Amino acid sequence: MEVLGNLFNIALLVATIRTTTPILLVALGGSFTTKAGIFNIGLEGQMLIAAFFAVVGSIYTGSSLGGLLIGVSAALLFALIYAVLVVSFRANEVVVGLALNILAGGMTISLLKAIFGTRGSVVGRGIVGLPKVQIPGARDVMGSSAQLISGFTPLVYVAFLAVPLLILVYNRTQLGLYIRVVGEKPEAAEALGISIARIRYGASMLCGLFAGLAGAHMSLGYITMFTENMSSGRGFMAVAILIFSAGDPLKVLAGCLLFGFADAFSLRLQSFGFPSYLVLAVPYSVALVALFALSWRGRPKRLRETAETIRRALSVHPADAGRDAPASRS
Amino acid sequence: MDLAVDLSGITKRFGAFTANSGIDLAVRRGEIHAIIGENGAGKTTLMNILFGLLQPDEGTIAIGGKTMIVDSPAVAIGQGLGMVHQHFKLVPSLTVADNIFLGMEIRRNGLIDRAAQEERTRSLSEKFRLRVDPRERVAGLSVGMEQRIEILKVLARNARTIILDEPTAVLTPQESRDLFRTLRSFVDDGMTVIFISHHLEEVMAVSDTVTVLRDGRVVATKPKSALSKRELVRLMVGRDVSFDRRPRGQTNGKVALEVEDLWVRDDRQLAALKSVSLSVRAGEIVGIAGVAGNGQTELAEVLSGLRPASHGRARLHGQDILDLPPAAIRAGGLAHVPGDRMVRGVDRTASLSANMLIGRHRRAPFARAGVIDWSAVHGEMWTLIRRFDIRARGPEDPARSLSGGNIQKVVLAREFTAGGDVLLIDQPTRGVDIGAQEGIHDEIMRQRAEGRAILLISTQLDELKALADRILIMFDGRIMGAVDGAAMDEDAIGLMMAGVDPADMTEA
Ligand SMILES: Nc1ncnc2c1ncn2[C@@H]1O[C@H](COP(=O)(O)OP(=O)(O)OP(=O)(O)O)[C@@H](O)[C@H]1O
Ligand SMILES: [Mg+2]
Repeated sequence: MEVLGNLFNIALLVATIRTTTPILLVALGGSFTTKAGIFNIGLEGQMLIAAFFAVVGSIYTGSSLGGLLIGVSAALLFALIYAVLVVSFRANEVVVGLALNILAGGMTISLLKAIFGTRGSVVGRGIVGLPKVQIPGARDVMGSSAQLISGFTPLVYVAFLAVPLLILVYNRTQLGLYIRVVGEKPEAAEALGISIARIRYGASMLCGLFAGLAGAHMSLGYITMFTENMSSGRGFMAVAILIFSAGDPLKVLAGCLLFGFADAFSLRLQSFGFPSYLVLAVPYSVALVALFALSWRGRPKRLRETAETIRRALSVHPADAGRDAPASRS
Repeated sequence: MDLAVDLSGITKRFGAFTANSGIDLAVRRGEIHAIIGENGAGKTTLMNILFGLLQPDEGTIAIGGKTMIVDSPAVAIGQGLGMVHQHFKLVPSLTVADNIFLGMEIRRNGLIDRAAQEERTRSLSEKFRLRVDPRERVAGLSVGMEQRIEILKVLARNARTIILDEPTAVLTPQESRDLFRTLRSFVDDGMTVIFISHHLEEVMAVSDTVTVLRDGRVVATKPKSALSKRELVRLMVGRDVSFDRRPRGQTNGKVALEVEDLWVRDDRQLAALKSVSLSVRAGEIVGIAGVAGNGQTELAEVLSGLRPASHGRARLHGQDILDLPPAAIRAGGLAHVPGDRMVRGVDRTASLSANMLIGRHRRAPFARAGVIDWSAVHGEMWTLIRRFDIRARGPEDPARSLSGGNIQKVVLAREFTAGGDVLLIDQPTRGVDIGAQEGIHDEIMRQRAEGRAILLISTQLDELKALADRILIMFDGRIMGAVDGAAMDEDAIGLMMAGVDPADMTEA
């Protein structure tokens, strides 16, 4: 019992919020491209390049805001290249996405060598991390649970507030509506004179913006450092979440929370002395199992058909079918 | 003369193929102008050029007297043009009001004002007497309803000239009559209507002027009063076409398809078929008449294995087929021409060859040792292109690049040559021009002569009259009665289609 109590407590929730943030940011970015009908596999690369340049930027400008802006710009540049190739030149989305991911991986490694003369990672060297936001009065009102809402870096709030914002964008703004239409029925957009290319560029750049924020959060958020390949598959996890959520902000949030929780939980297990190679696999396995369970509903045709046959055999009787129909038809 | 639209010398080429060549078209303000012509004559292409979806290679466009370059639909819309396309362009996940105002949203404080859009939709719908529910999602609405939304979409943009591409191909006779009443009221208000159609009766009934296209050229533009239906046919096809009943021999085949007390539910779980029984013999054409939406689609779907039955039996050559998957039913000898060619008929992005190959990709001579022999496939497709008079450049054309009627011919060609001895044909000539209709009817009669059992679903009585040996009339999921195709009484059929029981008719 005591062990469980130590495993599950407020600290775990707080950790979940933190670990959820980067994947939530990048997945919300991907939501724009998904809704616009682009299968964007380049999230990982955009996030990684932003993480690197956020570190570089914060050292050069001496401020975390400078770092953030430069990191996001790098991601936007990648997003622009992606859009030019995919939207204007109609290159294959997966190929371009993968190529840019590989480019980001290689580029950060060689720039790390060129700029900092090191391999593996940069720590210290004047990197300025993002400040923590203390919500005034939170501690007085909520006591120790105040850490659930106060004391995070700004991007944490941005990530969670972006969820309702995106819902609003998709449902009530012109841009959001056009993004959905371009993804769902491009012919309709075309016939009304809505430029499909322009909307897809817009969605791509919004995606770059959010992926950039995610990257900056990774390298300037709770740990202020850059490590080779530090996005460690989060971009791909986000792609998986996007496939199953179809880019729907609430479902994206649910998927990301699940992943974030598993991530935080595995960190916790690690501190209890479980072998780290097993523990590190936890978030990915949990997410995969959950996603598989979700998609299971759509899959087993035979199972569904069997259930259907049983239901038919039980429910529909010719006599009552005849009785209810005219009434409900009219 | 006050011209709403004036096209002159329009030429459009797709590669080496000329779809429109030197077309002149003058449409007077306040008239209903019909454009007719065979499948692939270039009607849709011409309208797409006028609406800015395609750019002409030569020629000029004048709208309302002003010559201009229409390089996008936005320009055309700005000039008061509106188009209802042959294949609708609605977004299924959005509501009716959202679809109508898409591209011209009403906004307040930067956000879309749903309430205002719904209100405007309601008032438009009342003003033009086109009933819709603004808040309903488009997914799952009937085609008639979808068309109404498309028309409202155009009206909401203050269109003064409305182009409709084959508006009645998918409508029931009742819906068509309503549509024409609406169009008439538009021109009474000073608006202009251009419509494309293959139904010559309706062209004769509602239009003021008729333009006939053939092979991308204008062969005539004349006031309706100076034309007869027969003349129209000759202008369109270049010869006379007969609509008479086809001569035929006696049928005495064995029963090939047998349906007994069949009950089926539709997507909303309502009874769509109620105790339907019928049988079709080899060498016999059994027609199913009825206003669309009375269970015909469900009947075709359940027999081809696409929809589960809730009760009853269906036997193909004595073998039970309910609960068998579609592939097994096909293997048992049933071929199915689906009613909606775009949904179940073809893969629009695939080539004609690939579309023809579907379902026979494991069979010789198309597959050898599990590998597809594309040269055999293309060879067969060439044969079909010639036999069914499909207007395409070759087997590698994507289905999408064909005109609507020619896509239909591709589906027919595949199904008629699939080797099945029971043919389930749903709306074989929807959107097909009369010349080609005759060809398809010839083909159906040939299949009959070869001893196939044919179940023919059609909403067009003329078609059933020409082809069917017996006609069953469906209403609200039931078979109301049967008549002999040779001696059919159209009034009686009309009454049964409206739900009147034949037993009550003699008394009345
Ligand atoms: N994008 C395209 N690429 C190549 N060929 C095309 C394209 N669009 C149309 N065509 C060809 O141009 C010709 C005219 O097509 P169009 O759609 O205008 O015919 P239509 O008169 O509307 O016929 P239908 O009555 O069958 O709808 C057809 O032969 C068609 O195959
Ligand atoms: Mg057409």
